[in-house]
Amino acid sequence: MIATIIKKLKVAVWTWRQPLTKIPNDLNLPISDLFVWRSSSKWQTYFELIDIPSLFEEVKRPNQVTIVFMNSVGKIVMKKNLFLEENIRQTINVSSMIGQGYGEIGTFAVFHSHIPTIIKKCNSFLAERGYVSYCYNQSPLRSYVHGNLDAVTLNPKGEIHFLGGNSFLPREYNLQYKLESDNNYEIGLVNPTSKKHYITIKLVSLFDNKILSSTKLVVAPGGASFNLVQSDKLGPKKLIIKSRLIMARPLVFCFKNSKLDVFHG
Amino acid sequence: MNRLGGSGLLLARFNLYMSYYPILKFRKYNGWVTLCNFAPNNWEIDKPHDLVINLTWAFDNVWVSKSLGVLPVGKAITITHNDLPDDIPGDVLLLLSLTVTPLPSHSKALPKTEFIQTKIPVWRSTLGVSTPLNVCASYQGELDAFPSQGTLLTFGPFLQFGEGIQNGLIFLNLEDSPVNRESKLEIYNAANENLIEIVSISNNKANYIELDRFGFKPNDLPVFICREMAGIPIYVSSTADGSYLSLEHTHPPASLVVHGQRWEIQKYLKKQWFAKLIK
Repeated sequence: MIATIIKKLKVAVWTWRQPLTKIPNDLNLPISDLFVWRSSSKWQTYFELIDIPSLFEEVKRPNQVTIVFMNSVGKIVMKKNLFLEENIRQTINVSSMIGQGYGEIGTFAVFHSHIPTIIKKCNSFLAERGYVSYCYNQSPLRSYVHGNLDAVTLNPKGEIHFLGGNSFLPREYNLQYKLESDNNYEIGLVNPTSKKHYITIKLVSLFDNKILSSTKLVVAPGGASFNLVQSDKLGPKKLIIKSRLIMARPLVFCFKNSKLDVFHG
Repeated sequence: MNRLGGSGLLLARFNLYMSYYPILKFRKYNGWVTLCNFAPNNWEIDKPHDLVINLTWAFDNVWVSKSLGVLPVGKAITITHNDLPDDIPGDVLLLLSLTVTPLPSHSKALPKTEFIQTKIPVWRSTLGVSTPLNVCASYQGELDAFPSQGTLLTFGPFLQFGEGIQNGLIFLNLEDSPVNRESKLEIYNAANENLIEIVSISNNKANYIELDRFGFKPNDLPVFICREMAGIPIYVSSTADGSYLSLEHTHPPASLVVHGQRWEIQKYLKKQWFAKLIK
């Protein structure tokens, strides 16, 4: 009995009042992930836009989305409104929208204008976690990755509020993936909280558990930062991300013989 | 001011059943799985263990399991079809798992063995596919048994277009029972609700369906439903020569919302669309 209580208390240190995602106080607010955009001569970013509200109920007037773009340090640089069409797919070229005047990476969020009645009735929030795709080096195929953080909300005044929780203690996120020596990687981290986060990325040998490298990053609220892992002869490795983010789940770009594979942890 | 979601004492999920990690295989492409014996965080697992690597498949109405060895604490291993014993039957869904003790060699229900599962995030493996040119695509995932009364509703905005590009859907199902059963996957166009085709699918299988023959256009939103079986839809696009590959899976409709009664919303959405889409 006492052992069980001690176990529960040990876990509570990591969970009590430390939510992964805070709950907005208004059921009319939409939630979006913070997606990463990449825009350069080598990178194009796309997003699959679907009129999610009209999947739930008939549309009385066209729904729209507000896309908010931030640069790598989380500063809002652009907002766009787009009308949606019911039950069709709209693939939008995000890099064409943002252009190449705001750096090569940043984040964006997609907020739906209408929240279906059933969603509010169930005390839920419509969450745009949709699908981003990247085209690298004029590849004929795009590589997809879906959002997985319910990161931000937009209030009627057009203000962004970050929903990510913060950890009291530094915690480690261990990417359950083997980084191979022959490949190059770019590890992307996004900050969905309202505080600046200092993040340490460690590469650890899977052979002898030695720390091969340790890199520190700072990510502003709403911003994104990338860490490069270049090919070497040090054998397979694992990646450990230490921070006060509740779950520092990275976006991983893997380059094997210049071909891209992208996924999130 | 935001309320704190999920406050209170959220417990790590001690002693819940472990997940499975399927080795995918379709067309000329080979699947692989990277299993990791290190937890995805440093705070949910007290005592790590060396773990047994199990391979499980359904054959002749039973689940058969074999041990492939032990994965020590802190290590990772990538397993492909080439690493497997020769006596595995062809055309079965191969499932890897990590457990503290070996799974029973035969069982009438999908083996469930105690495993210290994590929650933030869930314990995953890397599930990947490679073309004959060794071009890879992967995702972090796991596979748990679906209830046999489960259903599927998914919208798939992943088809890619261009010369030589091929698109397919893998409908991945796993159930407790090893007994084979068939069902029907209905394919529609969301815009006009037209039925495009009905395709037979099986349980405990990675069912591969070529999508290019259905004539979808870039702005079409395909809808896939199954009224008697649930599964994970995985979309695959590749160039004909296998020099490029893309892989992504969709989530259940409950993922369109967060907080609150998400599963009620999923029920609602399925009911809406199952009523709208008539065979």
